[in-house]
Amino acid sequence: LRIAIDTGGTFTDCVFLRHGQIEILKVPSTPQNPSQAIAIALQEIAGRFAPSSIAPLDLICGTTVGTNALLQRRGGRVVLVTTAGFEDVLEIGRQARPKLYDFFGGRPEPLVPRERRLGLRERVGADGEVITKPSSRAIQALIRRVRRQRPDAVAICFLFSFANSAHEKSVAKVLRKAGLRVSASHEVLPEIREFERTSTTVVNAYLLPIMSNYLTAIEAIACRAIRGSATRTKTRVQVMQSNGGIISASAAAKEPVRTILSGPAGGVLGAEYIADLAGYDKIISFDMGGTSTDVALLEGAARTTDESQVDNLPVSIPMLDIHTVGAGGGSIARIDRGGALRVGPESAGADPGPIAYGKGEQPTVTDAHLLLGRLGRAALLGGEFPLDLERTRRYFESARKSAPAIRNIEQFAQGILDVVESTMERAIRLISIERGHDPRDYTLVAFGGAGGLHACGLAAALEIPRVLIPKIPGGLSALGILRADVVKDYSQTILQRASPSNLSDRKLQAAFHRLESQGLQETRAEGFARSQIRIQRTLDLRYAGQGHSLKLAATKNFAAAFHREHERRYGYSDPSREMEIVNVGVRLIGATPKPKPSRRSATKRSATLAIEAFEPVHFHGSSIKTRIYARARLQAGHRFDGPAIVTDYSATTAVLPNWRATVDSQANLILSPMPRTGRKP
Amino acid sequence: MTQRIDPVRLEIFKNLFHSVAEEMGAGLRRSAFSPNIRERRDYSCAVFDAHRNVLAMGDHMPVHLGSMPASVAAATAALQLEPRDAALLNDPYAGGTHLPDLTMVMPVFEPHANAATRRAAKTSRRPLFYLANRAHHADVGGAQAGSMGLSREIFQEGLRIPPVKILERGKVNRDVVNMLAANVRTPIEREGDLTAQIAACRIGERRLQAMLTKYGRKELNIYAQALLNYSEAMMRAVVRELPNGTYRAEDFLDDDGISESPLRIAVKIRVKGDRATVDFTGSSPECEGSVNAVRAIAESAVFYVFRCLVDEQIPATSGLMRPIEVIAPQGTIINALPPRAVAGGNVETSQRIVDALLKALAKAAPHKIPAASQGTMNNLTFGGMESRPGHPPGPFAYYETIAGGMGARPGFNGVSGIHTHMTNSLNTPVEVLEHALPLRVKMYAIRRNSGGEGKYRGGDGIIREFEALTEMQAALLSDRRKKGPYGLAGGKDGKPGKAELNAGKHKQILASKGAWHLKKGATLRIETPGGGGWGTP
Repeated sequence: LRIAIDTGGTFTDCVFLRHGQIEILKVPSTPQNPSQAIAIALQEIAGRFAPSSIAPLDLICGTTVGTNALLQRRGGRVVLVTTAGFEDVLEIGRQARPKLYDFFGGRPEPLVPRERRLGLRERVGADGEVITKPSSRAIQALIRRVRRQRPDAVAICFLFSFANSAHEKSVAKVLRKAGLRVSASHEVLPEIREFERTSTTVVNAYLLPIMSNYLTAIEAIACRAIRGSATRTKTRVQVMQSNGGIISASAAAKEPVRTILSGPAGGVLGAEYIADLAGYDKIISFDMGGTSTDVALLEGAARTTDESQVDNLPVSIPMLDIHTVGAGGGSIARIDRGGALRVGPESAGADPGPIAYGKGEQPTVTDAHLLLGRLGRAALLGGEFPLDLERTRRYFESARKSAPAIRNIEQFAQGILDVVESTMERAIRLISIERGHDPRDYTLVAFGGAGGLHACGLAAALEIPRVLIPKIPGGLSALGILRADVVKDYSQTILQRASPSNLSDRKLQAAFHRLESQGLQETRAEGFARSQIRIQRTLDLRYAGQGHSLKLAATKNFAAAFHREHERRYGYSDPSREMEIVNVGVRLIGATPKPKPSRRSATKRSATLAIEAFEPVHFHGSSIKTRIYARARLQAGHRFDGPAIVTDYSATTAVLPNWRATVDSQANLILSPMPRTGRKP
Repeated sequence: MTQRIDPVRLEIFKNLFHSVAEEMGAGLRRSAFSPNIRERRDYSCAVFDAHRNVLAMGDHMPVHLGSMPASVAAATAALQLEPRDAALLNDPYAGGTHLPDLTMVMPVFEPHANAATRRAAKTSRRPLFYLANRAHHADVGGAQAGSMGLSREIFQEGLRIPPVKILERGKVNRDVVNMLAANVRTPIEREGDLTAQIAACRIGERRLQAMLTKYGRKELNIYAQALLNYSEAMMRAVVRELPNGTYRAEDFLDDDGISESPLRIAVKIRVKGDRATVDFTGSSPECEGSVNAVRAIAESAVFYVFRCLVDEQIPATSGLMRPIEVIAPQGTIINALPPRAVAGGNVETSQRIVDALLKALAKAAPHKIPAASQGTMNNLTFGGMESRPGHPPGPFAYYETIAGGMGARPGFNGVSGIHTHMTNSLNTPVEVLEHALPLRVKMYAIRRNSGGEGKYRGGDGIIREFEALTEMQAALLSDRRKKGPYGLAGGKDGKPGKAELNAGKHKQILASKGAWHLKKGATLRIETPGGGGWGTP
């Protein structure tokens, strides 16, 4: 039995296969101790199976343990060892301030304070040559200083260790021998730029204790779930990484920094899977929750980036290129002193929540939807969660008084939606147009609690021709995790001039081989035979003298591909300029078993059977009597025109006027503008 | 604010214009060649309306903020800009600030669906918007590598470029590029950076034209003006909160690098209702050395300080300056005349103008104003010939600025080792620096206990020490070497900065401004000032 688990802020979603069918279970999350919710869910799921059919049990977890520990600064006590004279690199960062026009701004406190940053007299030069070799006496003295600090983990980052790791290796060896947990920069991220490498290595060390405790707890839970036949060999715990692949719990416990975007990565994979089944390979995934929204652009497979930041701390390992904006259903709206309507980033969260939940007093995006009738019958979660429309009206009336140009509360509510959609539009622009992709070539895959409410408006603004709302908008991340392959990334900075014959260059080949043999060994340890492992090689290239590189497949035609990509991204290329290879990269992929999709043949019957009510709903200034459909009753082949509202257990979809909805063979809703429709005025 | 303006559209257009500027910046940074642009991000991008008002600035360099409109004004006054043209300039006395800052200005016209209408409309068309980007180039010729040394007149500081067309009808004007390349130490890098600047203009042009197609020029114009009014209303609200009155202060630059005497920045801020006048009368006359500023820099500093008083995230448009009048007497150090040398005006004098303004405002709003930050950018340039084995030989020129201590704030300590006020450039990573240049960094650390004591402590400065791996020239333009940044409300001053050259037997404390020859193996150690403290300790 394979169970994918996505631990979110509010719910823990589990997705698994029973009799070949995908099943979902949602249990409330237990943020104080996230494994508790998993234990509860497992017990419930185990009840649905015969005891003998549970083992071997695979648990695949998407986790926010790492992100939360970082955001709340609850990680371990770390000692950082650096080249002497560079102990403060972590604190100085790139010497810039995050906010330009703010006398009271600052930057986040470093994860390791001054007194725990220790220098060692050693130095490697730019070409990897040893300038100062650390004496064994100095190393012994260092170890004593480290131990005096009683650390939970030790991070090591020496200058140019990506070019020559000997010094880091010898220090790491001694520290490990002394029984300490070690995170060494040449292992975590052997790439140029000391601050980003140090930061990534420190984040890794910082998460080591908390992640290993968490994973030990999950492993214990998994063992308990298969009680009778309990042996460790019959359970396996795996963890979703930020790069969109999974790794074993033991590997994740060593490199927890790789799991930071675990949850959102699941969403992107889920979107990729659903879109692929539906026959779309160019998609923009749009996951809108209560406090934040994640967007990503996929062309076939999801892209990765290595320029991410978490809470202003650089984390430079490959992560799916997911852009997060601080706006969601709970975002608060207000009129500022200059007379502009602002929405977010402040959020009403779960407490006090939107006005409609009964406690909040500031208008939110969810309230605006309710006021306009977009949530169907004024309730969420299939009626279990009533919403207070009258209360919402009252607060909106008093809030809109600060803006004389707003004539009524409906206009105010529509304005809130327009502004939040412009924020989303900007986020999507950033990942598409700004990087040279035209949204008109893409399908918008919208999910999360609020995704379906904004999908049509956003698609109209960006001229995206099609929207896909998956059958299970609430469990898509867990489904993505269930589908994920084992993926391992390795990279190495080499910094050498490139010529087209370079691929056969000895130094380059040696670098690839070294990364691959390490990768194969570690991927085999995850339980794959050599024949099951796919290997991809990449090059990070730039024109000699540039600072930013582009990642390309290491194929024979890499030079031509680089000029083309540069032209596309920046509007020019210059084949006469010399190129430089910055990093070589290797990705190993071990394929996991996939659930088989089920297809339904199209029904001949009318969609009117799925209508559960007619209600007045506001669309851009006018109230229209609108059909409310129950998602559960819609079948493959159904089609209907907007305006319409589709309600579901965990999410609502708004089909705008002049949009048409069809239900495809996988029970996804496909929305598209009707022909002859002009753009939004 | 008129009733017709829709608050929703206002917010949306604000985001749109801002994202144009940000996109231009991202394109420039990612495709640029010199470490100063690609690593340190010493550039700015902005969008202007047809009347040359700033509609949006990327969050780049504050010192460029108030001075970019002068570039657009100078370019349009000197040249008839046609579609797909772009102007290039750096003349501080014609729209520039100091010579290394090369600014490009491109007009944006209404896009036309087909060539026929384009031809038909050609003669009568006027630009609807302008785009500008400015990048600090690591060398523009002149007496010293890096073009940021001590000079006595602008002709020693590098190549002076009045507005010229670098793009004509979409084609690069090779004459201009060749002329420039022949006058600088690192022509290949310069050309690469110029190409990236041109690409950034084109990115902006594409975005604005897409907006014109989508919303129409009428709507864009209405909201461009609304955006200016919006910023103006915000600023008026902020000025109104200051008590009416006249607030005076002065602060000093150590010297001009030629004589020993300090240079005064005098400021008088008069607040009346929702308007303010900032008068620099009484500031020192223009000087012999290179810390003269042009008027645009003084305006930038005023713009920056008042912008920081607005506590909301608002767009940096020209509307912000409407309630504020700047009086900058000609022939003074804050409004110098040709042919004075100006390299340091943009980077050093600008910081001291901010210090003087803040000292005056602290009298009006003591709990909103921080003590003085390091007040210098510690401009350091290196130039010479690469001679390391295994590295391609050739000339190099490198420029960087070094962060220091931030002044303590009422309620908070100052931050250590951070860029403040008129700059926000990043550092060049040690590993990138050593890979690119024959230099070794021996130390990069926080200068402990250099921040001023106080109830809230000033931030500490930085220590950065270099070793020359080949013979080279080094130039330093810095300040706050004689007297440290001031404390406020009883807080103590931060420690002044210091530079030391060590060539084996000879150890030498360096002047704040000057150029030196470094032998192979010599080390140069810079210690930057700490910030002032706030409140009695």
